[in-house]
Amino acid sequence: MSLDLESTTRPPASGAGSGLRRRLRVLATGPTTPDRLRRVGAVLVLGCLLAGVFSLVDGSARTGAVRDGGTRIAAVHADAAEMYRSLADADAMATSGFVSGGQEPAQLRARYDRDIADTTARLVHAAGLLPADDPAAPAIAPISAQLPVYTGLVESARTLNRLGYPLGQSNLDSASRLMAREILPAADELRALQATALTDAFGRAASTPFAVLLIGLAALAAVVDAAVRERRRTQRVLSVGLTAAAAAVVVMLLWWVVATSVASGRLGDAERHSGVADTLDDARAAVLQARSNESLVLVARGGGAADTGFTTAIDGVLGTTTEPGLLAAAADAAEPATDDRIAAVRTAADEWRTAHRTLRELDDGGLYREAVASATGEDPGGSGAAFDRLGGVLGETIDAERAAFRAASDAAAAALTGLAVGPAVLALVAAAAAAYGIGQRAEEYR
Amino acid sequence: MRHPVDARRPAIYLVVGVVLALGAALLGGPAATGAPAGPAPAPQAAAPAQPAPACTEVRESLRPRGPLPAPGAMPAGSTMAAIAQRGRLIAGVDQGKFLTGYRNSLTGTLEGSDIDVVHTIAKAIFGDPQRVQFVVLNIADRATALERDQVDVVVNNFTVTCERQRTVEFSAPYMPASQRLLVPLGSGIREVEDLGGRTVCTSLGSTTEVVLRDLGLQVETLPGIPDCVLEMQRGRVAAVSSDDVILAGLAAQDPNTRVVGRALDTARYAVGMRPDEPDLVRFVNGVLEAARADGSLAASNRFWYTGRLDPVPPPPPPVYRD
Repeated sequence: MSLDLESTTRPPASGAGSGLRRRLRVLATGPTTPDRLRRVGAVLVLGCLLAGVFSLVDGSARTGAVRDGGTRIAAVHADAAEMYRSLADADAMATSGFVSGGQEPAQLRARYDRDIADTTARLVHAAGLLPADDPAAPAIAPISAQLPVYTGLVESARTLNRLGYPLGQSNLDSASRLMAREILPAADELRALQATALTDAFGRAASTPFAVLLIGLAALAAVVDAAVRERRRTQRVLSVGLTAAAAAVVVMLLWWVVATSVASGRLGDAERHSGVADTLDDARAAVLQARSNESLVLVARGGGAADTGFTTAIDGVLGTTTEPGLLAAAADAAEPATDDRIAAVRTAADEWRTAHRTLRELDDGGLYREAVASATGEDPGGSGAAFDRLGGVLGETIDAERAAFRAASDAAAAALTGLAVGPAVLALVAAAAAAYGIGQRAEEYR
Repeated sequence: MRHPVDARRPAIYLVVGVVLALGAALLGGPAATGAPAGPAPAPQAAAPAQPAPACTEVRESLRPRGPLPAPGAMPAGSTMAAIAQRGRLIAGVDQGKFLTGYRNSLTGTLEGSDIDVVHTIAKAIFGDPQRVQFVVLNIADRATALERDQVDVVVNNFTVTCERQRTVEFSAPYMPASQRLLVPLGSGIREVEDLGGRTVCTSLGSTTEVVLRDLGLQVETLPGIPDCVLEMQRGRVAAVSSDDVILAGLAAQDPNTRVVGRALDTARYAVGMRPDEPDLVRFVNGVLEAARADGSLAASNRFWYTGRLDPVPPPPPPVYRD
């Protein structure tokens, strides 16, 4: 019996050009041993080639995904996170500049200018990396459309402020509202979309390669079975060709197992670092929000009641008795080596909260000028200086996590190097060896 | 009997392998991408305050009792003594109304005719006009700030209405005002009738909103009158309506606008206080009487409004319900 069901029902072909067809029919249905052997050989070659094709397709998809995730998506993600930071920072600087009244301190103005320049550069960079049909592309539009409106309002506010007109304050409020309600949410959405895309890409690259392993094992089983049966039938040593084919398939399977398990470990590291960086980014956003609130309460002289915005934001970072807070979440997810850095961030945040409380006591006690001095950083023990220190430590920690992310994703990409081509070539070798091994045996019947 | 050489078994291995592999490839595909949740939409501004049922009888204020106590010597147990004990007067004001209550961005201090009234009260309590903590209030939060004990007094273009008198005890009025329109130069608008269906803007929770709606106008409300001016400068509203005192300050900041039209409504500004502190109300009325008598109230108004309001509003004479 053989796989010849359809050939038996088909009428015999006739006429010219049917030589190839006749040979195929012999191969498919021929009753002699060499025919049967050739059939076995054809099945083995087909199996090895199939395994090669699967390996090529899957391997290309994985190396592509890890390259895309580690470079393009990670870059847009970093752009979005930095944009969020620089936008929130710009707003905090613009409002802080108004606290001192009259002339804006030069260093605040310079930092605002740098923030806007950074945002624009990141925007251009991210837009260039996003394909037009990317789901994240629409999130770019509100940022690029509203940023000039925002900066326009801030410039009007400055001009009117220098002229001594309170309409400047209205312009500033309007700008801050635009930032908080439209621009920052768009940057946040872009970041969230990229984080999801990154997880997807890494998930694709690191998943267990069931398809390749299954078909590879099937091909191996077929080759080994054929080799064992040939040996039993001919009562001779193992066929060299079939043994070589089996060895090639084994190496191919090992390559896959080792490469994907190494890459999977590295990608897990990469995702962990990226997640910690994201959590710390959220903490930084909350800190900037708290700073804007501190400034606005001083500028607007809203008094202690309006300070809840600061408390809510900083509690989200440091945690309360019931909520663990963002820093605790980051410390939980981070490697033990990062704990020291996060502890330093916590210390700096605690110091700022203390300095802020002192500032509020000054303002609520009627000492407005002293409160302003604390906020603007004139007083080295004040809130402004503590905020700058916190920003510095937080920034360093986030940069370190992003660098660790890049290192891990580079290592993952390195582990997958050659996975597309290497195992596929081995499968080709296995197919050739199987053909050779079976062909040798079939020749013996001449 | 089976032939020892048979392609069946390797073929079965392969077919099984291919089927399983295809299944794995199809199932393990990157299909499990949940749609990321977008950020929650920003909360919209609160709905405009519903005008309460009509209430027309405006109560007059409380008459001062006896001569004013000397600064620094407030009667024991009085509200003023508690303020003196604290060391500062907490006043709810605005910082965005040029000439009335605004932050001078060159000095960082609050200035204006309303701020002068606060300093006058502080001087009467402490002998020092600077013993003040200012709390900047949105127009809509003025009465609430008093109810919540956040401030001692509200001096912030606070118009006496019978509706507000349910929760606020007003002093005798210190300034009259009339509601008019601010329009761009050359807009051709001279009266509300010229608006022709276009939008007029005013502040949320103010008395002017009710007047405009009663006239059947298209009204937009924003947190403050300066926000309305920004909207008018952008061409999104045709006019801004508010008290002439406030509009004069805005016209002074934007020479491309002018105050036009008849008085749509008249109002009197007074100091807002808590009803359960009548001693403070009587005291403040005494302070205002002294400021009327020595001409300092009129002088303050002349200082801020000469050349900007014609005529400069004179302090109205006090009437008391006793």
